[in-house]
Amino acid sequence: MSILHVNGRDIALDKDGYLVELGDWSEDVARALAERESIELSADHWEVLELLRQFYQEFELSPATRPLIKYTALKLGADKGNSLHLNRLFNGTPAKLAAKLAGLPKPTNCI
Amino acid sequence: MAKSLLIISRQAPWSGPSAREALDIALAGGAFDLPLGMLFLDDGVFQLAPNQQPALLQQKNLAANLQALPMFGVEDLFVAASSLAERGLDPDGLGLPVQVLDDAGLTALIDRFDQVVTL
Amino acid sequence: MSTLHVISRSPFGDNRLASCLRLLGPHDGLLLCGDAVYALNPGSVTVAGLNTLGPRLYALAEDLEARAISDTGATAVDYPAFVELSLNYDKVNSWL
Repeated sequence: MSILHVNGRDIALDKDGYLVELGDWSEDVARALAERESIELSADHWEVLELLRQFYQEFELSPATRPLIKYTALKLGADKGNSLHLNRLFNGTPAKLAAKLAGLPKPTNCI
Repeated sequence: MAKSLLIISRQAPWSGPSAREALDIALAGGAFDLPLGMLFLDDGVFQLAPNQQPALLQQKNLAANLQALPMFGVEDLFVAASSLAERGLDPDGLGLPVQVLDDAGLTALIDRFDQVVTL
Repeated sequence: MSTLHVISRSPFGDNRLASCLRLLGPHDGLLLCGDAVYALNPGSVTVAGLNTLGPRLYALAEDLEARAISDTGATAVDYPAFVELSLNYDKVNSWL
């Protein structure tokens, strides 16, 4: 457990840095989480985070890498739904890192 | 070539861990690109009933998770016609796109997979 | 492709056996163990149907003996024979 300070609020994180309460997520929280990973969120990042939150709303679970790529290709096209693009955005571990920044639980079916 | 696996899920969704465990096998296998099929048999067909509200039972929404199967590459989804008929479920009103198989179809289905596990 | 189906639950409170018989293929085998061997009790409603399987019907010997079920139409097998049997089929489907 650790605490993330955002806009005067204390946000609880689990031992892997994921939000304990999914409802704590906001864009500022995402920026603060990204900063911990040395990532500055660009428009390309945001659209994937948005997509992940949509995925979670639809399926109530966090995607592993393969379904993340497939879903991204479905919604944003093949030029974005590929491992190269997603790996580049999220330091080589898109399923884990993007889920973390989007405020989702840690994906269970990842290596 | 990886061996293909058929997962037969035959327990109702909210009364025990079996339905969740069967789905977890499918999602994990799908995430690793294994050739998988999933068959809903016996009380397992209740997992496909529409408009269920597991939140009332403080349970995670297995029905929503099942929708993710095609995203995980698990698109070979089947249901036993006889199990549906016995339980009064309409094959056209299910919450997941599944192929409906008669008993002979089930035998043929099991035949064409390399491995089978029934939960 | 042939499948050896393995069932360990009693058929009198569970529909695994009934479902299995419905989808059993002509080259498949059925092995009963644990409480599933009660299905072979002489005079039970299940035994006649099972006996139509002839040589494709097996039961674990120690489970039969422990439950004092004898004179069944099933081939009784010990554990080494169970292992050998599973190798004679393309796959094993355990009805967990």
